[in-house]
Amino acid sequence: MKQLALQAKQSGSVRPPGPAVRCVYKTLHAALGSGRFTAAVLACCVMIGSQQAVSQDGMAIRGATIIPVTSPRIEDGIILISDGRIEAFGKDLEIPVEAKVIDATGHFVMPGIINVHSSAGMSQANEQNPLVPFLSVVDSIDPISDFFVESRRNGVTTANVVPGNSTMIGGRAAIVKTAGSYVNDMIVKRDSGLKISLEPTSGASRMSHFARLRKELEKARDAEEGSTEEASEKADDANGEGDAAKEDEGQDGSGTSAAATPSAQQQTELATREALTSLLKGEMPAIIYCETAMDVAQAMSLIDEFKLKPVLVLGRDCYKAASLVADRKIPVILDSTMVYWRTDPITREDEKIVLPKLFSQAGASFVFQASDNGTSLGTHYYWYQAATAVKYGMTPDDALKALTIDSARLLGIDNAVGSIETGKDADLVILTGEPLDGSTWVETTIVGGKVAYQKSDDVRLRLLFHPEEDTN
Amino acid sequence: MIRLQMIRHLIVASCLVSSAVLQAADEPSTVLIIHAESLHTGTGQVLSPGSVLIRDGKIAEVGENLSADGAQTLNVKTLIPGLVDASSRSGLGRLDDEVTQEITPELFSASVVDWTDRDFAEQIAAGTTCINLCPSTSNVVGGITTAAKTTGSMTVAGGGDGHTTARIVSEKTGLMISVCSDPASGNTSRSRPDSIYVRQPTNRMGVVWMLRSTFHKARTAADSSPIVQEALSGQLPLLAVSRTQYDIQALMTLSDEFDFKPVLIGGQEAWQVTKELAARQISVILQRTVPGSSRGDERTRVCADMAARLQAAGVRFCLAEGDLLDQARFAVRTGLPAEAALASITSSPAEILGIGDRVGSIAVGKDADLVALDGAPLAFTTSVQWVMVDGTLQFEQADNQ
Repeated sequence: MKQLALQAKQSGSVRPPGPAVRCVYKTLHAALGSGRFTAAVLACCVMIGSQQAVSQDGMAIRGATIIPVTSPRIEDGIILISDGRIEAFGKDLEIPVEAKVIDATGHFVMPGIINVHSSAGMSQANEQNPLVPFLSVVDSIDPISDFFVESRRNGVTTANVVPGNSTMIGGRAAIVKTAGSYVNDMIVKRDSGLKISLEPTSGASRMSHFARLRKELEKARDAEEGSTEEASEKADDANGEGDAAKEDEGQDGSGTSAAATPSAQQQTELATREALTSLLKGEMPAIIYCETAMDVAQAMSLIDEFKLKPVLVLGRDCYKAASLVADRKIPVILDSTMVYWRTDPITREDEKIVLPKLFSQAGASFVFQASDNGTSLGTHYYWYQAATAVKYGMTPDDALKALTIDSARLLGIDNAVGSIETGKDADLVILTGEPLDGSTWVETTIVGGKVAYQKSDDVRLRLLFHPEEDTN
Repeated sequence: MIRLQMIRHLIVASCLVSSAVLQAADEPSTVLIIHAESLHTGTGQVLSPGSVLIRDGKIAEVGENLSADGAQTLNVKTLIPGLVDASSRSGLGRLDDEVTQEITPELFSASVVDWTDRDFAEQIAAGTTCINLCPSTSNVVGGITTAAKTTGSMTVAGGGDGHTTARIVSEKTGLMISVCSDPASGNTSRSRPDSIYVRQPTNRMGVVWMLRSTFHKARTAADSSPIVQEALSGQLPLLAVSRTQYDIQALMTLSDEFDFKPVLIGGQEAWQVTKELAARQISVILQRTVPGSSRGDERTRVCADMAARLQAAGVRFCLAEGDLLDQARFAVRTGLPAEAALASITSSPAEILGIGDRVGSIAVGKDADLVALDGAPLAFTTSVQWVMVDGTLQFEQADNQ
């Protein structure tokens, strides 16, 4: 098995691994997860041949009610998948004899759900240093973490993994598929955005937090606008900045002496510049977290001043600024706590705040976010969030769009995912019933044309229902 | 801006209520008929259509299509009984634990409830009309639990102790004891034996020992706590908080030893002892767990379909601790039949608490505590339209909602 893994790694480093190799990863991963090593080796040997055949010859899902999201539902339809993409869908399609057929009679098929904003897929989402645009979540994503298992179990096929909300400029986000064993195989979009948090870093006041953020952006803009003559001055600035970075490194305990690591400093500086330049050119979106309503207004001024391409992530109290985002027609990501109570400080009147209601009344467009940890009753499920929005007046169709195509558009990946359309990635979820029905379960999750989750093989789900079988 | 009209009975008189629905039902003396496309009684029956006639705040008649001269009428899609939460700390948030003693059977949580707490507004908006107020679990014998409406008059209505208001359904629904690690947690110091901060017990054995000695004293000493005596003789239910299977077994040992029938609160690992619970006819007030999680309080191992298992084993149970509709919805998701799930948040908790004659179901003679919904009761997409307590509308989903 070691040899297999080694071989896989080597081929991965030279060229993108072929379908057969990727299948080995997956089988290995599944087997390792359940701890059956011997079985894994056997399964790998058998699977190399068969899985390759499957991905070449394609797959067909028949009998299900297809919910393409961007076009009307199709009862008892057929979806043809080839080379990881949707080849065709509709009624009365001819299924190639060699295709692997999934009979989904009586079930529903919808596009994979998109997790628009999550820090759970990575380890340690918040950096202590408040200014780390050179960092990327790609280096921290753990493909075999529970987050990805849980995502597939709940029909989430794409995730935007974003640095946490507690760092001023927390690093670069990445959009990944939720199935895979190596991060590089999973990436849909590297550098999908630079995370900027308007929530003051611990110890800082709002004024100083915002002033420092503005200063950094101004510095980057000046450097960008500067001519070649000013380049030498920039270098001086860079040195000044380098000192600050050194201090932070010293705090981490990782830095040795300042003189010993000049090239690393320069690299960091270069990567910082590169990220901020890309941000100011509008190439890399700014994923701006607003903690309170006042932050939304500040975000708007930053967007205007630095011509940022924004993705707004709003804390729950930001509903007071709903009209602000509606006026600008900026789609936003709502807080995972969509319904809560507050007491008016002056009238003492208790008030129930329903975010999807307030934002739709203000005319703002929005998508949902699920909570990363499941301490509340259902907010860590995307379907629950959508059902909650429907409960308070949204149409079921719009709620499903928010989970899929609207989120894909917001992230700029709607050319590849977010709906069942010919040519798009075959990221599909087969459900036992209507998507927003509480009794519905995910039967199968398909990522890139491959079955990435099968309820009948879900050991963990079985143990949740049969804890007496857990021998650990 | 949403404007939810949360009106407490206290201010109803002075508050200007714009809603037509509220005006229609604001006169308790008038006869009111509510027609529902489907009426769930809470005891497993569904009338489609169904109607209910309300007179003087009580349910006077239930039928398919009732009519009466001069009666005001309301039409709703779905009607269910007001929900009953058998284990709640609403309004007790700022109450400190009594640390000077471990055995406090005479404590009344209800005497220190903040009836203006926002908890109550949240409860009523979620359809919960009656809650069982429980003392904290930090004492071995915690005190007396009280069933109260989540809204209504706060005027004192006799009772002598000054803690009784018209909201109270039953002053004494049970005596709460803790057969778990809670009373022992943090009690370690013996260095200052004269300090009030020195508390027993310091481990689980100590918890059981203190209970055993308390029960023994109640059986043998005439001057022991009358409340404990009442509870041991079966006149007052003993509500025992136990989560792990070994604590539940310790509780069953005690109940066999002293011949009482407890009600179990918590019960995260009750799935391991369903047969024993059924054999002893012990009812379970299930504490909430997070869906999809394998662990509950005290690191207990939970079971996703616990409610369905208890139902199948013939154990009477109810769901408790807030968000009752959503909890019942998750129970249905994991295999509990819908009508059983609805019963587990209405009639079952009422019966377990011994207040089923007044609340928990839609039946003649019961309090007119009703919840109108806009769809199937246990669909996640269904919302609460209005909530009525004692025949008076107390909450209405705002029109712009």
